[in-house]
Amino acid sequence: MRERKRHVVGLASEIPPGGRKIVEVEGRSIGVFNVHGTFYALRNQCPHQGAPLCRGSIKGLTLPSAPGEYLWAREGEILRCPWHGWEFDLTTGKTICEPDRTRVRTYEVTVERAGDEEDTSDGETGGAGDGETGGAGDGETGEGSSLKAEEIPPDVETYPVTVEEDRIVLHL
Amino acid sequence: MIPPPRPGIIDCDVHPGPKSIDEIKMHMKPPFKDRWNGGGRGFFGNPVHGARLDSKPPNGGGPGSDPEFMRQQLIGEFGMGHVVLLPRAFCNLHPDPDLGTAIAAAFNDWMNETWLGTYNPDGVFKGSITVAHQDPQAAAREIERWAGHPHFVQVMTDSGARAPFGQRQYYPIYEACERHGFPFAIHPGTDGMGINVQPTPGYPTHYIEWHTCLSLSFQAHLVSFITEGVFERFPGFKVVLVEGGVSWLPPLIWRLNAEWRALRMEVPWVKRRPDEYLRDHVRLTSQPLERPDKDEWLLSIFEMMDAEQTLMYSSDYPHWDFDSPKTAFPKLPEAMRKRIFEDNARELYGLQLESAPAADREMAAAGGR
Repeated sequence: MRERKRHVVGLASEIPPGGRKIVEVEGRSIGVFNVHGTFYALRNQCPHQGAPLCRGSIKGLTLPSAPGEYLWAREGEILRCPWHGWEFDLTTGKTICEPDRTRVRTYEVTVERAGDEEDTSDGETGGAGDGETGGAGDGETGEGSSLKAEEIPPDVETYPVTVEEDRIVLHL
Repeated sequence: MIPPPRPGIIDCDVHPGPKSIDEIKMHMKPPFKDRWNGGGRGFFGNPVHGARLDSKPPNGGGPGSDPEFMRQQLIGEFGMGHVVLLPRAFCNLHPDPDLGTAIAAAFNDWMNETWLGTYNPDGVFKGSITVAHQDPQAAAREIERWAGHPHFVQVMTDSGARAPFGQRQYYPIYEACERHGFPFAIHPGTDGMGINVQPTPGYPTHYIEWHTCLSLSFQAHLVSFITEGVFERFPGFKVVLVEGGVSWLPPLIWRLNAEWRALRMEVPWVKRRPDEYLRDHVRLTSQPLERPDKDEWLLSIFEMMDAEQTLMYSSDYPHWDFDSPKTAFPKLPEAMRKRIFEDNARELYGLQLESAPAADREMAAAGGR
């Protein structure tokens, strides 16, 4: 098995809880989801008929229950396919209907502090331009800005500034 | 000039919608113009979503209302040569036949002007003439109104009805269809709504029951067409069962064949074994295609029903249970695939590529899978 690569796909602040971002990594479309503060990544392709799964709705589910009884649970943890409505567990990639038989590929996600380690990501990463962000943070992608020394008049006392924001890293 | 038939897949069930109901109402006159305000089938709405979530046009409007976006999602993505459009007027549920007829006519005028008119310079869109079967005489006049149109290729109705479709009150419709070479397409809808009978013992509780049982009325209509002798009376008449399911067909026809051997004397005008009428008069569209655990089971059913002659691919775009031409079917023998995805529909709707260069035909075949 080949060694997995790190791919920085955005800043954690881009994807608030309940939000998602669809990124293109190594030729694959992948959805990154923030489920109650934890990030998960799923392949953006439904194993049923190939729909763009990660564009589906994020919901809860009805737990198995007695006839006539509805138990709503796991709000925000279930992804419903935008075509046929199949339910997927965002935390495992497994379908709710047949978890042992049908699942979508998942990828490891970590959150890293900028500067924690050398950025070893390859050139294909950081596809912020083609990503679709969703949720409350839509459109507010925080560019990692830093002041440029040559723009500051020389008589002003300056200090080195770095912005350390959590970065989302996909491993595949 | 009528654009020639295009190579590629023929999708036999696609639903266009107006950008707003005013697009329909502008073709209506008072009093019906003021009485009709849109509206769907009423209840049994899908509890998850009714249309593909990714089918909402980026520039606004409902799913299926933007011709450019539809072209992108069907022709661009799957290489369809033609899509057969079936608008959803739900006109068959109204107690007032004149209102039903007015709605049907308005939808036809709208189709003629938009999807089959300004949106259709290349002829990719083929359409269905909506009729209100509450008033078969009026429906026949509506069919006459569009006879000879370059892009209307069939007459359509909802499966919801007050009586099985083989019965004689409907014959003015079939007579007009036969005269003008229009197949008669039946699409699910308005069963148990308004004036129409629900084809289950009473109303089911849930959408899942209602939707699973949509095929029941199709089965009843098909048996009625054959036993009432409709295909003997109208030898050129063709029926298309759209979105009514597929796999139920062989055992139902075996049952009917068996009944006919014993009870033929009751319906002496049924001169041929019932299954023989299927090949000559009936076509089914594929979506929603059942997928049993083993592909060979479905392929056996295809063989039993002579799918190479009787089955036509459909996607049901933009509805939620869309069947992709790339993934909805198991791997098919090439000859069968070509007939299901193209040839059966080309023959039924007169869309043969007689004059197309061989290279085009090869491109069409390659676009299939």
